[in-house]
Amino acid sequence: MMDPKNLFDTSLPGGMPAPIWFVELFKWLGFTLHEVPMNLWYAGIIVSMLLYVFGSEHGRQFGSRLMAQMPVIIALGINFGIVPLLFIQVGFGQVFYPATILMAWFWLSIIAMLVLAYYGVYLYAYGQAEQGPKMPRWKRAVGWVSALLFITIGFVFANAMSLMENVKAWPDLWQQHSFHGATLGTALNVADPRLWPRWLLMFGLALTTTAAWISFDSAWFAGRESDAYRTWTKGFAWKLYLVGAVWFAVAGAWYSFGTWPAETKQAMFLSPWAVLTVVTAAVPCAVLALLWFARQREGEISRGWASLIGLAQFGVLGVNAASRQVVQHLEFAPYFDISRQPTETQWTPLVIFLVAFVLGLGLIAWMIYQVGKVSGKTQTATT
Amino acid sequence: MHFPWWYVDQLTAPMLIAAISVIHVLVAHYAVGGGLFLAVETTYAYRTKNGDYLAYLKRHAKFFVLLTVAFGAITGAGIWWTIGLASPLATQVLIRTFVFAWATEYVFFLAEIVSAFVFYYYWGRLPEKIHAIIVWIYGISAWASLVIIAAITAFMLDPGNWRADHDFWSALLNRQALPQIISRTGGALLLSSLYVYLHAAITIKDAKLHALIESRSTRPALLGAVFIALGGILWYVFLPPSAQAALVAAPVLNVLMALLFVATGIVFVLLFLGPYRNPGWIKTPGFAASVLLFGIIGMSTAEFIREAVRKPYICYNVVLGSQMLTDEVAAIREKGFLESGTWTKAFVQANYPQVMSADGHVDRTRLLALPPSDRIKLGGMIFQYHCNDCHAIQKGYSPVAPLVQGWTPGMIRALVNDLDRTRFTMPPWAGTPEEAELLVSYLSDVSPARPAGMLPKDLKTGTP
Repeated sequence: MMDPKNLFDTSLPGGMPAPIWFVELFKWLGFTLHEVPMNLWYAGIIVSMLLYVFGSEHGRQFGSRLMAQMPVIIALGINFGIVPLLFIQVGFGQVFYPATILMAWFWLSIIAMLVLAYYGVYLYAYGQAEQGPKMPRWKRAVGWVSALLFITIGFVFANAMSLMENVKAWPDLWQQHSFHGATLGTALNVADPRLWPRWLLMFGLALTTTAAWISFDSAWFAGRESDAYRTWTKGFAWKLYLVGAVWFAVAGAWYSFGTWPAETKQAMFLSPWAVLTVVTAAVPCAVLALLWFARQREGEISRGWASLIGLAQFGVLGVNAASRQVVQHLEFAPYFDISRQPTETQWTPLVIFLVAFVLGLGLIAWMIYQVGKVSGKTQTATT
Repeated sequence: MHFPWWYVDQLTAPMLIAAISVIHVLVAHYAVGGGLFLAVETTYAYRTKNGDYLAYLKRHAKFFVLLTVAFGAITGAGIWWTIGLASPLATQVLIRTFVFAWATEYVFFLAEIVSAFVFYYYWGRLPEKIHAIIVWIYGISAWASLVIIAAITAFMLDPGNWRADHDFWSALLNRQALPQIISRTGGALLLSSLYVYLHAAITIKDAKLHALIESRSTRPALLGAVFIALGGILWYVFLPPSAQAALVAAPVLNVLMALLFVATGIVFVLLFLGPYRNPGWIKTPGFAASVLLFGIIGMSTAEFIREAVRKPYICYNVVLGSQMLTDEVAAIREKGFLESGTWTKAFVQANYPQVMSADGHVDRTRLLALPPSDRIKLGGMIFQYHCNDCHAIQKGYSPVAPLVQGWTPGMIRALVNDLDRTRFTMPPWAGTPEEAELLVSYLSDVSPARPAGMLPKDLKTGTP
């Protein structure tokens, strides 16, 4: 019987190039930012497809809007995904590399699926822009294929991230999928009971983000749509969020009560982490309440309220990412402790990065401001 | 060794890096050169109030965004994927050395994405001056990304003084950085012009507009050609001696160098014959496609050569192709390859407990007492972790079996024990004599017999 502890390399070169808190912070921030667009393609595309078939006129309208925005959303999501990917490798290479190498072909297939899904979305978006309701069926089918590909990508990601934490499974997976001691890269972590609720939990969360986006989009970008559409979005966003929140709650309960090891349960259900667990479970209710209040009000949702909903949903994702990070540490604990790694901080490059980061955000804010100015003018002219 | 090794039959895992990198490079260079092209030309078109040219540039921007923002970005992520899978140790070294260079490059990449979309989707809605500034933000950000990435990839060929001081700046400002920045900038300018020629040949019917695009695109193409030549010369001058020697000694590299010179020469000649002497030719999609094809061949070949001359290193003098640090080799040789590798040792522990000592170490003296079939199997594992980075087994990329076809165990033993002295492009043997015997058993097992019917007969054995 192979001891998984023997699979950890403790002789890796070099120290951490940044303080551990910095690596953790950017891993968390990057993942939270990535989650916003990722949630929109993960659940948003399939919701758009379903709305086209089963939805009302406004439902179809929303689906068309989201699919038209999707190429930009995907580009930003891929871009934001680089940050957590970078920092996970900085701090957690000892677990990240073995897990992904054990399932190498599946992990690599993400790239191929992403290319197909992205171009599928482009095809669909251009199809509806140029041909509208007359868009041929095969292009509609491409939209469905893209939606399924993104859900499959989510499954592979959930596999990789859960396999990182499921160190106990490494020896068997390696032995079963190896050739002369080298891995064939064909393992999947499907026997891990944590995989399925985790994957589903993420989908529930993605539904809530899509719902929050409906409100945000309606208030900020849907100036050219009818009043009736904008009023409809209030009700639909609330209903979709409710479905997502219930989904999230069921999957989350299954994940935490049903699959966490005893040590993780003990830590997450007792002080001090119990507070984080409770907040993670409860915080979607805050967004649900904001959407409910918006629904009760007369007329369209205001930009301020929609921004508050967006910000609150960002908080939901941030708290969820923080919880994930804590659970991750607890599950690594028997094998690997990031804080024991030596640190040799590269201060000058770190400061240069932070300056570039601030300047870059400023530049992006300026570009968005310019876009906002002309969009405002267009909307004023239209109304 | 430090990480599990991924066996990819015939191709070998690192060749996946090469495959994705080459595809990515062809789009990424266009993302830089095309961005600068759009910046210069949009500014020019606004200044000259050329509506037809602006309309063309908008069409080109759509093609540009569709190709670079989607395919370029995903294949860029694909390189991250493959290097982590096929070269995790080198990736760990690079990431821990350059995390803030990559993070800063990420900021430029983010600015690229946002400016590309604003530039394309808000065409005609933004004031001209602002629109031109946005595309310049794109062009400058894209070039800044190129500078940082070129410096990092240059480190893999020349770590500079980093081995001594482990300083970020020593790593980034290595001697190969400037040559590679110059040649990549040239490649970006030239390649983007070739993309423009083809795109214009397919989409434009108006002769006057075509002539304008041709003349405007030929200048950056020629400038790019000069940069490529200058960067290429500097690259060669600053190559480590082993890389210069590999260019001469390795038959594959000879062929690739010849292909590179021929393809680049053809591009230069076609540029001279086409846009310069016979402006009408480039209107023909076939001619434009031919020029682009030769440009792609040249650039792909250059990338392959850049990767290949590093052998036996992944990072020159830092990480070997055998997935170990150069500083570790002596200790591994002393301690044993199977014992030193995290995954090799775990495999031996689980599958061959009879060779483990009471205190949990691989007892080298027990290895040769294993039955022949087990010796071959363990030799196979050593081959995977020590050799499969560069050699497939029976068929595929530089397969080992044909390389030792007809060899006697003694000949193989001599090769294994003196790997790096036999070929300086191979890493040193990093195991004990007993482990060398296991590898010899494996290689003898996979090695085919000498082909029959060859004259003169083998003078030692008398067999044909």
